[in-house]
Amino acid sequence: MSNSNGKSPYTVRKLDNGLTVVIEQMPDVRSVAAGFAVKTGARDDPKELAGVSHFLEHMMFKGTPKREWQQITIDFDRMGSQYNAYTSEDRTVYYGWVRTGDLEKQIELLADMIQSTLPPEEFTTEKGVVLEEIAMSKDQLDHVAFDFLQEKVFENHPLGWPILGYDETLNPMTRDQMWAYFKKRYAPSNMMFVVAGNVDPASVMGLVEKYCGSLEAGDPGDERAPATVPTGVATLKVDRFQQQVVALSFPSVSAFDPRVETVSAATTILGGDNSRFFWNIMQKGLALRAGAYHMDYTDCGIMILYGTCEPDRCDAFLEAVREESNRICSERVSPEEADRVKNKRRTSLAIEGEAPYYRLTQLMDDMEFYGRPRTVGERLAEVDEVTPDTIFDYFQSLPINTEGHLTSVGPRTWPA
Amino acid sequence: MSNVVHETLPSGIEYAVLPLPDRRVVAFQIRMLGGCCSDPADKLGLAHLIDETIDMGTTTRTGRELSDAFDAIGAGAGSGTGRETTTYTCSVLPEHFERAVELHADFLRNPTFPEDAVDVALDLARQELVALQDDAHGLLDKYLGQQACGAILGRHALGEPETIGNVSRQSIVDHWRSYFCNGRMIVTVAGAIEAKNVSRVLEKYFNGFGESKQAGRDGFAMAFTPGTTHYDKELEQQQIGIGWPGVEVTHKDYPIQQAVIGILSGGMSGRLFTEVREKRGLVYWVSAWSETPRGAGTMFMGASTMPERCDETYDVLVGEVERLSEDLTEEELQRAKTGILASHETRGDTTRARCSDLASDLFFFGKPIPIETKIAELEAVTVKDVRRYLENYPRDQRCVVTVGPRPLGSAGPSSKTQARASS
Repeated sequence: MSNSNGKSPYTVRKLDNGLTVVIEQMPDVRSVAAGFAVKTGARDDPKELAGVSHFLEHMMFKGTPKREWQQITIDFDRMGSQYNAYTSEDRTVYYGWVRTGDLEKQIELLADMIQSTLPPEEFTTEKGVVLEEIAMSKDQLDHVAFDFLQEKVFENHPLGWPILGYDETLNPMTRDQMWAYFKKRYAPSNMMFVVAGNVDPASVMGLVEKYCGSLEAGDPGDERAPATVPTGVATLKVDRFQQQVVALSFPSVSAFDPRVETVSAATTILGGDNSRFFWNIMQKGLALRAGAYHMDYTDCGIMILYGTCEPDRCDAFLEAVREESNRICSERVSPEEADRVKNKRRTSLAIEGEAPYYRLTQLMDDMEFYGRPRTVGERLAEVDEVTPDTIFDYFQSLPINTEGHLTSVGPRTWPA
Repeated sequence: MSNVVHETLPSGIEYAVLPLPDRRVVAFQIRMLGGCCSDPADKLGLAHLIDETIDMGTTTRTGRELSDAFDAIGAGAGSGTGRETTTYTCSVLPEHFERAVELHADFLRNPTFPEDAVDVALDLARQELVALQDDAHGLLDKYLGQQACGAILGRHALGEPETIGNVSRQSIVDHWRSYFCNGRMIVTVAGAIEAKNVSRVLEKYFNGFGESKQAGRDGFAMAFTPGTTHYDKELEQQQIGIGWPGVEVTHKDYPIQQAVIGILSGGMSGRLFTEVREKRGLVYWVSAWSETPRGAGTMFMGASTMPERCDETYDVLVGEVERLSEDLTEEELQRAKTGILASHETRGDTTRARCSDLASDLFFFGKPIPIETKIAELEAVTVKDVRRYLENYPRDQRCVVTVGPRPLGSAGPSSKTQARASS
């Protein structure tokens, strides 16, 4: 991905206050995406404040020294921005995707909202919204099952807290506790500002300096504890659901690991659209859904093999998953299987290159995990290096034909 | 959109191409004009089952060989069963376009519907219906659609437990023969490709595919039923859905309806988000949307909240729509319009979105509609237009559906399942 003049499309610079700025030029588009990525998420929540990162993300829309809460969303909507925010275990992101001509207004608004006053008068009302979000998640089987899996696989580790937190931690949470967390974690050195679109990097850099240069420097600390994945079994019986979610979790590589593309190919071969699970589990009627997923964090990862099935088919489903796990650990995948996955990846990279918002999120990943933007050519080269041997070697070092950690959520207490 | 090519080939295929030479991919969409509204009443779910089994084997390939062939060209392909159409979408690198069309033609024209694949699909369809009971939003959608749109347009694509039991392999084959042919096919293509190349490829692979005479271009009757229905279910939150009659996509008032949806929930400054969520903290999810099959339209609002707050939430939802005709400002309307207009440039940067918009134009209008026309119609909407729209389409005959632990207006314990009350 280089420009017609052969120059790199990327500009990366650190402002004096520690904020990293990343810009990608995309000459063929009409829009531009911009956003902050803050290196703080649910895993940084103190245990007694589980959910504070996510609740804080909501509060960031509630007011600044310049704007009351309604003015923030009005100003986003005045330029027709496609905007939102989200919180993961590792990161909190605020972004807007606008017409190119509105970029300055978008940067000014994002920079303003990141300097929130966390208005005390909005705190209780917004807490009610988050409690509703928690209630909504309890009606969603997949959400309940995934939270339970995280809680058990990362037991007693911050990665085990649910992103939304608990009623028990949200209810007593005070605005002062949130303020202390905010001032510490939202130091510019713990954030990056990313812009992708049809822009001139020099003028964008000027705008970012203008609006973000005065953000107060600070020390976010770095207290993330490494996690390990235990073996074991955990079940959660919830009578009101009809289906059962069964999942096996195994230790895997972190997002920094050079084998990430190999793991991605392996999970696609096991549990993607045209995968072994699709043909040998779903198309045998054993489960409505079956898949494989790699959850990668900055310092660890897990591979999850999961499915949604009828409660009386749990044994058959698990047996089929174990059979596929044994097979991929003992026999190399065919060269054709590996090639098919790589071909799909090529198309998805071409599609990603069309939309500034897709590029924005990828740049945030690249900067966090690699410390620099990666070209499509570089990423394709990593995809090309995936072979049946690299997949086989991965499973020799991190096997999934072992006991693993089994979680089961649904109306049946299974395994008994 | 002046460079769009739109024509019907001698073989009966209606197609349109939007060449975008700077793009790195080609996106195409094949809409077969037959969806769950065309299912026989005793076999609801049939169209969905055809979609689930049509690519499980052809006269020359097994289902797995077909999937492998798609993967070999890195195609991002998908499908979906709607009320009036069954749609196949695909994104590929330009050099693989012809192969991708060839593979689609293979399974659309030559499916064998293997017995074992049909048996599995029937079993999975039954499981899907069970899984729907674990999906609170999905249940609200289903019940709201049934009441607001009626027996035909309100059908759920999965069908019902008793009707999918009536579906056999033979009924799948018979239905496919009737509804899969050139005369019922609309193809749209966008991206790095020339129109003449598209027509050549379509003729090459689809010429002679069933009946060539155009069919399936008419809509179905909407049957709106006012009233309040509660579906009792153990849930943390109460799901609330409200519907009232609106206009179809081709109606002159449709741009006004779009603006109304934008004012209610186009962005976070929309009225519902502001009044229901941010001012009162009653909900996390709240939204307004429309359902617009051909020749009909219905407006909806929905929210989910804890049971003890459902009455207040309902009152605020209804109150906000009524208040629109009293205090709507120019600035608020302009914001809603800007949101829609800007999305043409943001979302419009993706080739898939351009292809999908073109397909909708052909489906609803029978021709491509220049983007300039759509923009001009929306920009022309005034506050006065919105007031007139709200007057012409009153909401006193509402359709209200709740799913959860207690009916609206009930202080006591919950009612029996599907208890019916008047509004």
